[in-house]
Amino acid sequence: MTENVVEVSGLVKHYPPDVKAVDGIDFSIPKGMIFSLLGPNGAGKTTAVEILEGLRSPTSGTARVFGVDVTKDYDQIRGRVGILPQNFEPFDMLRPAEAIEYWAKLYDMSVNRKDIDAIIDRVGLSNRKSSLSKKLSGGEKRKLGIALSIVNQPELLFLDEPTTGLDPKARRDLWKLIEEIREKGTTVLLTTHYLDEAEQLSDDVAIMLKGKIVARGTPSELIAKYGKMTVVVLAGAGKEGLYEVSRRGITATEEEGDVLVPVSSPAEMRVVLAKLASIELKVTDMYTRKQTLEDVFLNVVGTKMDEGVLAK
Amino acid sequence: MSRIIADMVAFGKQYIRSGVAMFFAFAFPILLILIFGAIFSGSGDVKFSMPIQDLDDGPYSDIYVDILRNITVVEVKMIPSDEDFYQYFEDNDLNTAILIPSNFSEQIALALAGDHGAKGLVTVYGDPSTSSFTTLVEIVEFSLTDLGNALTASTPVVGYLPRVPEELGGLTFMDFFLPGVVGLVVMTNTLYTITSTCAEYKTRSYFKLLATTRLKKHEWLLSKFLFYTVLLIASLLLTFAVGMALFDMTATITPLAVVFIAFGVFLFLSMGMLLGSIVRDPESASAVANAVGFPMMFLSGIFFELESMPGYIQAISKVFPLTYFNDGLRATMLEGDVEVALVNLAIVGVLGLVFFILGSKLMSWKER
Repeated sequence: MTENVVEVSGLVKHYPPDVKAVDGIDFSIPKGMIFSLLGPNGAGKTTAVEILEGLRSPTSGTARVFGVDVTKDYDQIRGRVGILPQNFEPFDMLRPAEAIEYWAKLYDMSVNRKDIDAIIDRVGLSNRKSSLSKKLSGGEKRKLGIALSIVNQPELLFLDEPTTGLDPKARRDLWKLIEEIREKGTTVLLTTHYLDEAEQLSDDVAIMLKGKIVARGTPSELIAKYGKMTVVVLAGAGKEGLYEVSRRGITATEEEGDVLVPVSSPAEMRVVLAKLASIELKVTDMYTRKQTLEDVFLNVVGTKMDEGVLAK
Repeated sequence: MSRIIADMVAFGKQYIRSGVAMFFAFAFPILLILIFGAIFSGSGDVKFSMPIQDLDDGPYSDIYVDILRNITVVEVKMIPSDEDFYQYFEDNDLNTAILIPSNFSEQIALALAGDHGAKGLVTVYGDPSTSSFTTLVEIVEFSLTDLGNALTASTPVVGYLPRVPEELGGLTFMDFFLPGVVGLVVMTNTLYTITSTCAEYKTRSYFKLLATTRLKKHEWLLSKFLFYTVLLIASLLLTFAVGMALFDMTATITPLAVVFIAFGVFLFLSMGMLLGSIVRDPESASAVANAVGFPMMFLSGIFFELESMPGYIQAISKVFPLTYFNDGLRATMLEGDVEVALVNLAIVGVLGLVFFILGSKLMSWKER
């Protein structure tokens, strides 16, 4: 049986008079897994994670990390946990190497120059190790944050929105880094509002909304459960194309000038393709793609999400 | 202990790399000493310009002008007698001037002959809002008394003999000022800095980040205490050296003065932590620290002796911890009065402990 590193049961965090930041959630994270809490801003992800980090007290429910009740005995596991908080900012006037040495000592670890260089190299900051932290780019600062969070060689790593506000390249660099950390056996709890990030990195995903978990499973399970397996994309078909397709009894939606036809099985695919072949459609391209967590989120929540904000 | 040292080293590096902070620890006290030293020491170099129009040009006005010329701090400048005194005053943008009327000698002669109604009067004309006005009025009063004595050939039958207690012998304003500067520097470097540091640590979630490590709140404060104690002792030594070299001060650095700095750092760091627990951002930190620190700067006897202030100000000054710090430091550095110094040290220590306990209770690194 797989050992659970994190176990959350009936976790509630209420703020007077009537804010339910976390409203009775349950989940567990097996060892070595990347688990993502996915949801818009204000969904309760950070509150839930900060309870697990020993930074907030829950109103009720239990939160255990390595079998320890974090509300009572967090000190017992402090050294086994690494944390990258939301909106991490490094100490401006310290250089990355100095910050890593400082952080290691705050965990009672002795590090030498070689250890520090190894961590800096691992997070890809070798060419910036002598720069003051205030001169680092947004992505580099976040990499330094991850460097600090792994300085104590944690068995469990909390990454709270590690890529928010970063450019695509910096995000991909961090994804690679997170995957490498997991490959070393570290369990990762990731919070994000990026659907592609959760899909790319996660073994297990919980979608949070208004303090509750509204969907839970692996990305493929969620897609299978809440989405269709495949989408036929009629690129550039537009509203006219949607009208023609709908007239033939095919369920479809229009998105940014493309007509999307969801298909759940090979048999249905054959039928849809036969019907489409009989229609005169003006398209610039026609292809199929697998559904993503974005489609799942749309189906579960009923609206899209952009940079953590739900569309109206 | 290694966590405390690590935090102290990291904080120290950040502090030293911040030019502003270093300015307040080292350059600021030296600048104060230099500025106040230039103003208040070496009074022989200071000259008060005293424009005089002598419309009398008689024997007694000549004697009076000579008396004024012999006062070392006065530089007499004669206003031509054909000028309109008041117009000249306006045109030359003067602050103060003396007008000797045309009947000055005549009136004095009459008075000397027994006419009790006669009196030689000079006009002191000027802007009473300027600081030099009061000084010049005092000089005129003194010089007229001197003239009266000379004319009547009388010798004063009462007077005073200036004597100072042996332990205060040779002390100057700069000796009084130095402990005040030390108090000011200790307060500004700790109270202001730690209040804004707390605000910054809250805003940038550093406290939250630190709370995830093994570092404890009291260890964090202890590291700041050690850092500032070393820093401010160095600052004291440097300021003292500059004061000794330039102003020939006779104050001494005693072991108790060093202990005072440590206690002062503890007191004002604890106060800063308490203030830091209630502020939300660096902007409000600055306002709150100023609201507390500013009155202390002026009402705790840094720049002026409290004894020369009104009674209610003296009463208010007793509320400010900096008053006890200054009093104690002066007692040990200027008077060698260990008893008074220890009493003040105890007050500083107890206040520091109270603020530390309150600050520790109210300051939370975690969220509610």
